[in-house]
Amino acid sequence: MTFDWAIIWQSMGALWQGALVTIALTVLTMLLSVPLGIVVALLRESSLKPVSALATAYVELMRNVPIILVVYWAFYVLPILTGIGFSPFLTGVVALVLNNTAYNSETFRSGIRSIRKGQTEAGLALGMSEGQAFRKIVLPQAWRRVLPILATTWVTLFKDTSLVSVIAVGDLAHTALQIRSQSFRVIEMLTAMAAIYWLLGYPQAKIVDWIHRKYGVTE
Amino acid sequence: MELNLSAVLDSWRFLLSGLGVTLLLAAGVTVLSMVAGTLLALGRLYGPRWLSAIIIFYIDSMRAIPVLVVLVWVYFALPIATGLNLPPFWSALLSLSAHLAAYVAEVVRAGIQSVRPGQVRAGMALGMSRSQILRKIVMPQAVVRMLPAFGSLLSLAVKDTAIATVIAVPELMRRADAVAGQTYAPVEVFTTVMILYFLVIFPLTRGIDMIYRRISFLGRS
Repeated sequence: MTFDWAIIWQSMGALWQGALVTIALTVLTMLLSVPLGIVVALLRESSLKPVSALATAYVELMRNVPIILVVYWAFYVLPILTGIGFSPFLTGVVALVLNNTAYNSETFRSGIRSIRKGQTEAGLALGMSEGQAFRKIVLPQAWRRVLPILATTWVTLFKDTSLVSVIAVGDLAHTALQIRSQSFRVIEMLTAMAAIYWLLGYPQAKIVDWIHRKYGVTE
Repeated sequence: MELNLSAVLDSWRFLLSGLGVTLLLAAGVTVLSMVAGTLLALGRLYGPRWLSAIIIFYIDSMRAIPVLVVLVWVYFALPIATGLNLPPFWSALLSLSAHLAAYVAEVVRAGIQSVRPGQVRAGMALGMSRSQILRKIVMPQAVVRMLPAFGSLLSLAVKDTAIATVIAVPELMRRADAVAGQTYAPVEVFTTVMILYFLVIFPLTRGIDMIYRRISFLGRS
């Protein structure tokens, strides 16, 4: 068996592009799904029964179906539902945001719940509005407890972005699989893909461990 | 928008047998990754230093690489590298288990380490051997404490099987894709299949949570 590692150097530009798309997918999805996650978490705590029921149904559905199915679903359903043709990249972002928002909302909900009710009541007694008490008292404390879980979610999301490759988003996985099928350098290309994911993901996993040690709340 | 449910109704047998493959694969992945993950955790905690260094590297690498990447590597590259030609189902079983085992190992390790060291010392003082302490003192408590985390890993096992569609394992996701392509009714098919997955995974996680709530007192010390 002969290897031809030159293919890696020849496709370095394309792989680099793919890695950038993967990173862009991760960052954009997280930027959108953190605020959306807070909104959904608040909707779930809403005193209006239909609102909280709907939010709960959404979160439970998304947490209990495969992401790859959500990707396919978004790919076919979005254009019909909205009448607009989405690019594969945007479709991928929508699917990942749909999934990640559900997880983030659970994270924030447990974070918010971990702050004792007496603190909000103390804020209200001082003449703060509900919103002020939430923003100035609950959120700053909940944030710290939420951070380690968000970090874990980040790494999971980074890996899950590879699943949007099935709808031909030009991310790292899709790019590498394309080059593989065009060049027939299977081992070289797939190993390079794994190595690049490892190089990007390994430090992230280690940073997450560090965040857990530093900020983790132990009971 | 008009819904065409006949696409789903006409091929329910085809979809349902896909669900069977999904469940079979998920069960295999669960069993295999539990066994491998427990061995990894024990090797990491009690093995010689070089072994635990290798295991830590393996676990952290699996946590860093997408399962899709492991899957396509095992299916496309492994046969060329070793001459070992695995059919899609077995490739999926092997790669998904190898990936999930790393997560199982972390859960098992956390469970074992959550048992206070004083209890191990007490066991030693009573003249128990290391394996006796592990079997009779540490594990009975640790297993109960691991239960909630195992619940989410179980749902992860079922969800990960959908990724096997990429290497054409005829599981539910793959079959949904085929039916959607033939009937031109992707919205109906994928929505139905989404509900199917939900109906399988939701009771699984809820069931384990319920069991945990009933027996969590066994894990207290």
